[in-house]
Amino acid sequence: MHLIAQTLVDGLVLGGIYALSAVGFSLIFGVLHVINLSHGILVLIGAYLALIFSQALQVDPLLTLPLVMAVLFAAGYPYQRFLIQRAVNQSGLGSMLLTFGVALMLQNVMIWLFSPDMKSITPGYAFASFRVAGLTFDAVRVSALVASLVLLSCLAMLLKFSALGRVIRATAQQTMAARLCGVNVPHVYALTFAVSAAFAGAAGIVIGIILPFSPADEALWTLNAFVVVVLGGVGSPAGALIGGLLLGIVSTLTAQYIGPAFPNVTMFLLLVIMLLVRPNGLLGNAFAASR
Amino acid sequence: MRRHHLLLVLGCAALLAAGPLALPPFYVRVGQMMLYSAALGVAWTILGGFAGYASFGHAAFIGVGAFAAGLIEVQFATLPPFLALLMGLLTGGAVCAILAAAIAYPILRLRGTFFAIAMLGVSHVCAELNNNVDALQGSLGLNFPPVAPDSVAPEAFFYELYLFAGLAVLLIAWRIRQSRFGAGLLSIREDEDTARMLGVPTERYKRAAFIISAILTGMLGVIYAHSLGYITTDSVYRDDTNLNLVVFSLLGGMGTLFGPVIGAGLLVFITQVILGRLLDFHLFATGLLLVILVLAAPGGALGFIRGWRRRRVQVPAE
Repeated sequence: MHLIAQTLVDGLVLGGIYALSAVGFSLIFGVLHVINLSHGILVLIGAYLALIFSQALQVDPLLTLPLVMAVLFAAGYPYQRFLIQRAVNQSGLGSMLLTFGVALMLQNVMIWLFSPDMKSITPGYAFASFRVAGLTFDAVRVSALVASLVLLSCLAMLLKFSALGRVIRATAQQTMAARLCGVNVPHVYALTFAVSAAFAGAAGIVIGIILPFSPADEALWTLNAFVVVVLGGVGSPAGALIGGLLLGIVSTLTAQYIGPAFPNVTMFLLLVIMLLVRPNGLLGNAFAASR
Repeated sequence: MRRHHLLLVLGCAALLAAGPLALPPFYVRVGQMMLYSAALGVAWTILGGFAGYASFGHAAFIGVGAFAAGLIEVQFATLPPFLALLMGLLTGGAVCAILAAAIAYPILRLRGTFFAIAMLGVSHVCAELNNNVDALQGSLGLNFPPVAPDSVAPEAFFYELYLFAGLAVLLIAWRIRQSRFGAGLLSIREDEDTARMLGVPTERYKRAAFIISAILTGMLGVIYAHSLGYITTDSVYRDDTNLNLVVFSLLGGMGTLFGPVIGAGLLVFITQVILGRLLDFHLFATGLLLVILVLAAPGGALGFIRGWRRRRVQVPAE
């Protein structure tokens, strides 16, 4: 009983982080209908930037969050506006391959800059933990989870209440109608991408403080994001949260009870079943139809 | 492909067959890689190009075929090498056919990017199971007996074998393209729902194309495993193969018969010959090539040439 509870708690903590790492991917998919295969790279850039900034400024890695998000926001806008935008109107394969090409290039650049070795960010409270009702909580993981939930709520509020959020939702629902109402669609696309990139970077920091990372991990984070989006539904922070939590619980339960080598198998079985049974994800059809 | 194209292909093949006599071993190996890639590309294009179901996970069939063949050949170690290879090919093909038939129903209901990523998942799952189920010996590795006769250098033997296999795959794909079945696949690519409404048995056609593509890929995987001599999970279930199969078609011309052949030749030439010494640069160069392709020539080399021809024909008419 205790083991199950501990596994579930670990799964939920991991799931919150999966959710944050997928929310940007989900937003881009929902609004631009682009599968951003360079998403994992954006996450890793966030992790490496946090490593550099926290060492250079001698601050806690979570405090570098605004800086990292600003850098990725600034990089994401031109990346979408001048590169991906050219492939948006081609078939889905075009933008997919374009972003994959960028991912390969950036992965190579990161190997040159940071070496292919595993790196990790260790904040001062790295080994602290506390116990509540017999369950162990790592301080690092809990702070990562809290950061994830706060950021997800911020994004949800941004989309729901701000003018920018309204324009983004309008563009996602009916691009043509939004354009007729005077929305500058390429600009909104680029802003959406920039926001998503900033959240990917934030996810990178959170991932960086709980797990070691290397440039080769990018495919893993892209795939995770895809699975989360399929499970939860496209385009909404709530969908990403549900999908992320589900993925986190499933992978820790599999690792605990079936074998540490099998989380991917159950993950993809779940993915395929989900695509067949409820292709719009658990929270369904948040924005336009996705297939 | 018309009749004189067929003659041209056979002529080229005859010329290529003489390659190992004239080329140094390094280039025979590069040629071997090109022929293998081209054959894989054509096998992929039966589903991905004709029917428009771009798979990101065909390495699953390479791996499953290779391991099925290896495991059965160990049981019959006394057979002469040629018969062992033949048995490996048949077993690999059969197991891939069964796997493809088993996953065809759920997975072919997905379309576009969802199908692509689900296939990537299939490839990862197959690799993981192969690696972790001890009976399949994925992490330990499998040995393949040498099949080349003593009088022939192994690289020349496999070069000719790939050439033969590539021709066979190309002819199969050509026959499919010419048939009613092929026309049905193209109609699925253009508009699946309309095709179905007009009476094309889309489900059956998709499934058939998927299984044929899987069998051919699996058999090529068997030959590949023999040419390596020793395989582990990592050497056959490769994500770069998964990607390259898409890139071959994209580079040469999506949906065309010769596109993957041209694309495979170009990509292998670029990565093995031009960048052969710059290993650190491979990822970057492949990525850059992808970006340039998508932005500058979305139709691939063949699409580019066709567009250029069309423009040249149209100019005097205006």
